[in-house]
Amino acid sequence: MEGKNDNAAAVSRRAFLRLSGGLAGAAAVGAGNLLALREASAAEVAEVARKLGNLEVKYTADVMCPSECGLEMWVKDGRLYKIYGNKSCPYNDGTICGKGSSGAQMVYSPHRMKYPMIRVGERGEGKFRRVTWDEAIDYIARKLIEIKKTHGPEAVIMDSGDVTDRDQYWRLFFAFGTPNCVEHGAICDTPRRHGPKLMLEGKRIEPDIMRPVLVRQPDGKLVNDYSYKTKLIIYAGWNPFVATRIFYETRGTVGTKVENGCKVIVVDPAYTNTASKADQWLPIRPGTDPDLFAAMLRYILEHDDPADPKRKYVDWDFKKYSLGWDEFQAAFKSWWTKKDPINGLDYFSLDWAAQRTGFAKEQIAELAHTFGITKPAALIWGMNGTGHHFNGYLASILGTALNVITGNFDAPGGAIDTEIVKASKGGSATGKQFNGRKVTRVIGGKAVEGKQEELHMDSFGDWPAAWDDVVGDYPRRFLEGVTLRYGPFRGHRYPIKAYILRTGNSVITGSATWKWQEALTAKDGKGDYKVDLVVYIDTPYLESGLYADVLLPEASYAERVSLSDIYPSHPVIYLRDQVIPPLYESRTPTDIMKMLARRLHELGDPDIKPADFWEKYKTQDDFVNEMLQPAPGRANVGQPLPYPNLPEGYTLLGTPDSLEAGRVQIDHQRKVVRGEPVTAAWLRAHRGVAVWPMSWHRYRTFDKTRNEFVANKVFPGTGSKLIEFKFNKYAKYNKLIEEAKEVPRGLKEIGFSKYPDTFYWFETKWNPFTNPLYQKYAAEFPFQLVSGRVHHAMSGTQMVPWLAEARSEGLWRELNDPFQYTVTEVNRRADRRFLAGDRFTPKPEVFVEGTWSVGTLEMNPADAQRVGVKTGDLIELTNPLGKFTRSKVFVTNGIRPGALRMGFATGGRFSPGLGPTFAQRYYTPDHNTLVDPDALSPIMGQPAYVDMLVKVRKV
Amino acid sequence: MKTAEEARAKGMTRAEFLRGATLAGAATAVGVLTGGEAAEAALTRPAPKPARWAMLVDLRKCVGCFGCQVACKQENEVPLGKYRNWVKLYEEGSYPNFIRHMQAYLCNHCDKPPCVPVCPADATYKREDGAVLIDYDKCINCGRCVAACPYGARFLNPVSQTADKCSFCDHRIDEGLLPACAQACPGRALLFGDLKDPKSEIAQRLAANRDKVKTLLPELGTDPQVFYIPMYPGEPIPNR
Repeated sequence: MEGKNDNAAAVSRRAFLRLSGGLAGAAAVGAGNLLALREASAAEVAEVARKLGNLEVKYTADVMCPSECGLEMWVKDGRLYKIYGNKSCPYNDGTICGKGSSGAQMVYSPHRMKYPMIRVGERGEGKFRRVTWDEAIDYIARKLIEIKKTHGPEAVIMDSGDVTDRDQYWRLFFAFGTPNCVEHGAICDTPRRHGPKLMLEGKRIEPDIMRPVLVRQPDGKLVNDYSYKTKLIIYAGWNPFVATRIFYETRGTVGTKVENGCKVIVVDPAYTNTASKADQWLPIRPGTDPDLFAAMLRYILEHDDPADPKRKYVDWDFKKYSLGWDEFQAAFKSWWTKKDPINGLDYFSLDWAAQRTGFAKEQIAELAHTFGITKPAALIWGMNGTGHHFNGYLASILGTALNVITGNFDAPGGAIDTEIVKASKGGSATGKQFNGRKVTRVIGGKAVEGKQEELHMDSFGDWPAAWDDVVGDYPRRFLEGVTLRYGPFRGHRYPIKAYILRTGNSVITGSATWKWQEALTAKDGKGDYKVDLVVYIDTPYLESGLYADVLLPEASYAERVSLSDIYPSHPVIYLRDQVIPPLYESRTPTDIMKMLARRLHELGDPDIKPADFWEKYKTQDDFVNEMLQPAPGRANVGQPLPYPNLPEGYTLLGTPDSLEAGRVQIDHQRKVVRGEPVTAAWLRAHRGVAVWPMSWHRYRTFDKTRNEFVANKVFPGTGSKLIEFKFNKYAKYNKLIEEAKEVPRGLKEIGFSKYPDTFYWFETKWNPFTNPLYQKYAAEFPFQLVSGRVHHAMSGTQMVPWLAEARSEGLWRELNDPFQYTVTEVNRRADRRFLAGDRFTPKPEVFVEGTWSVGTLEMNPADAQRVGVKTGDLIELTNPLGKFTRSKVFVTNGIRPGALRMGFATGGRFSPGLGPTFAQRYYTPDHNTLVDPDALSPIMGQPAYVDMLVKVRKV
Repeated sequence: MKTAEEARAKGMTRAEFLRGATLAGAATAVGVLTGGEAAEAALTRPAPKPARWAMLVDLRKCVGCFGCQVACKQENEVPLGKYRNWVKLYEEGSYPNFIRHMQAYLCNHCDKPPCVPVCPADATYKREDGAVLIDYDKCINCGRCVAACPYGARFLNPVSQTADKCSFCDHRIDEGLLPACAQACPGRALLFGDLKDPKSEIAQRLAANRDKVKTLLPELGTDPQVFYIPMYPGEPIPNR
């Protein structure tokens, strides 16, 4: 192995003793967290399952939350009985949360969609008639063909909601001819991802605490390393114990804290579950995370001293691996002499940041110093916390910069951009190639040719740099139509006539609920709905379904084949397997794609070819296998080198065992190593999971002639293959702006004429403490309203009774009124012991007051006293736009005074598909009612979900 | 699996078999042993004596997720509103010096279980390995054990019409699998194992944290076999 002085190679004896495992099938002997009983092998588990209940064991992936943990499901006679964590999957390492364990109550929920339905009443009334699949598919296909003929295929939006298992739908609609295939990412956390994307071509920076990691040892062996290295984690507005997107952060954070003495600091207006395990909780004023980060960076730059070990904050080696730092620093420093219009202080100074964040300036200095001096460390910023602010980009860019300049980026125990190290599943099945087709449109009487993708409503419309789409702005486009402003089709106008929504619930989560309702029910002069076709495809029946013309029941996650979508520290991928047949009349995404494709073809759609669909994908496996062709798709880089037997810097394709054994073809020209392809069958034979080795410092290589590390120019995947402090990624959008001589609406709003070359700054909205425009609202609307995710109660899982028996922070508490409802109960056999014959069947139940968790709101006792309320009282919250919602109050010292926090999509749920949560809709809060639909963050267009002011009154 | 079958033929439960494997493995080498090699190694050692099962709840790692509670409900088919294990949240302090405690509870599997002598039907008993169990066929649903348990760990199950409580997942541990809650725990706050095996993680963890470890209501002399490491050193662990 090269680079003997590398940290990753320096395995201390203590660390060595904590190493365990090895290649597939090896026992985890001597592991640091070794359990008293040895972890059973697949064969042993299968044997126990047979013995206990004649059950069969299958390995699959969750989808009840975006973490998508590896699961072990025990089934019998096509029924799902037990769900456990899959120990072979390092993402969750055999652990499983309550949600994961409760999956059968969702699969067998009486409230899920069972049959295709076509609307009979008005949109929103929820009146449907049961139809056959043939009738439903025919209805949709005829409408699509008509829309395509009249308005062009671009008048159709395919919104896949979640990214998971969406590719069949995207493939179909790209082939149909629309570039407008979008995903929930647009309303997830795009500002949070922005800095990593600009600077690293990445997305999510997470601490290096996924354990085990599979690491190459000096002797060439691969072992599962359980040892933690991280010494400091700062989570700003990120609550991994509840948000769980990155599930290993739960065991990793407390693991590195207890076992490795890591310090954990949580910066959040609310005392989250993550704060409960932190060394320090810093309750920041909402919306000032970038201000804190900017002050930290200024402090570090002003106080860094390479000669003083107590102030050696910056690891200046980062300049070897990056470009544009000098420009970035100059732009950053240019603000230091500007005065803040509200407090009159110099930008980014400690005094300034203290005024804004509400901390003492000594606290901020201490935080900056601690981050600068403690290594390895990771500064992590979150989704609801930072990503949901209008100016979340700033925290994201500054956070990325802070991790890089302190030497923590991709360091052992440091901060890893998980987007650029995960395994690829982006094979041609995804259908992106259709987007490159040449198409012609007549604009101003002239025929213009361009690519299909250049018709995109965002990228060539109002949001050129919104690479994750702008779902939050759809209601406006439903009402006003799309005008293309950039690229060859500049001036082309088209309406949105069809909205195909699959596993999303945009009416509740895609910015203001009322705005979505208005747009989906708006009619034209002839009395027809403006959006002519709305299709809702999902397993649960959520609010957006109420506004659909056609409901299509999709097979649940236990009933279909696909792949995990995860953010591990190194390439890992696993199968989502069909462990039981689709229930009722639900169909798999592959089947739905094929049915609709076939009907479109039969009706004469020239763009849908049998060879691209039903002839090509006989089975679900065929589709998955094509997606897996580029896996893992990561380069053989970093220390220790993942495959010393293969050339460094080459892209790796193929199964872990073929790469390990050298059963490969090497293409030196294209620098690709091709092993045996990963397939669904290979995964099934390996407990569902493929794991390729971990390495660190993946951006550098050891240059023997110079005797030092140099940039390998392979990683990260930016244009320059270096970390970019100069924002070259914006260049192509600026070119569009220059050609069209039109500034995008988002930039105009913040006074920019183009996308900035490097560091930039602007203020958030609806914040009277940082933006002078909103000071006038402060007296009448004294509370800042923020939201938090409730893991148990995300948009589509609230029908699960076991999760209503679990509580979460002050946002999901047992403050229910008495009610009756039919829920899925587990039917314990009267004769006791392990398995009943007929589990998970619906039963009417009576619930008394105070036994069932519902969406609530956190309020500080000082505020509660002022308002005159106590825990359990009902309040009404009204925003300056005149919109209001109601909630019961949970009074707690775990929230900053002046801030109120409610769950995201936990209340006001008006679809009966939510099950018992539906019964609580009159006194649980719909946070999104209070979101300003016009507050769309200026670059990516994501709704500013957590920038809002409210007043409250007791009801 | 040939070796496992041989082990059973020798009268070993799978738990003994796997514990044997662990001991053998630890003695042999750190690092890489294939499953087959470990199993072979197990057979070279005498079958171990019955275990003394115990649970360590490390509250420094409890993240308040209720994962253990739901895992148990799934595993043991516990009716809505009843709990074999449960998590309590309680708050302390004033802003900003505030703590939200998270506390996982289950049957303490007491060494001197007060629930056993009060049972008129001899339905409640303590096994040699320490698990306090209920013979559901004998239980007459009288509720005396429920009243006798100072920890509130027992309840009357309306479906089975018997007393009920945490069994340490005896059906799983007898087959060499962890209790459902301990396997599930996302923070790895629940550590289950054999106190008699000095090399077990639980024995080592308890030894290393001797000054920190607490039990519930030790003054009652029930000798709980569920141990707690508090979130903050010296902090008392409230009962229920």
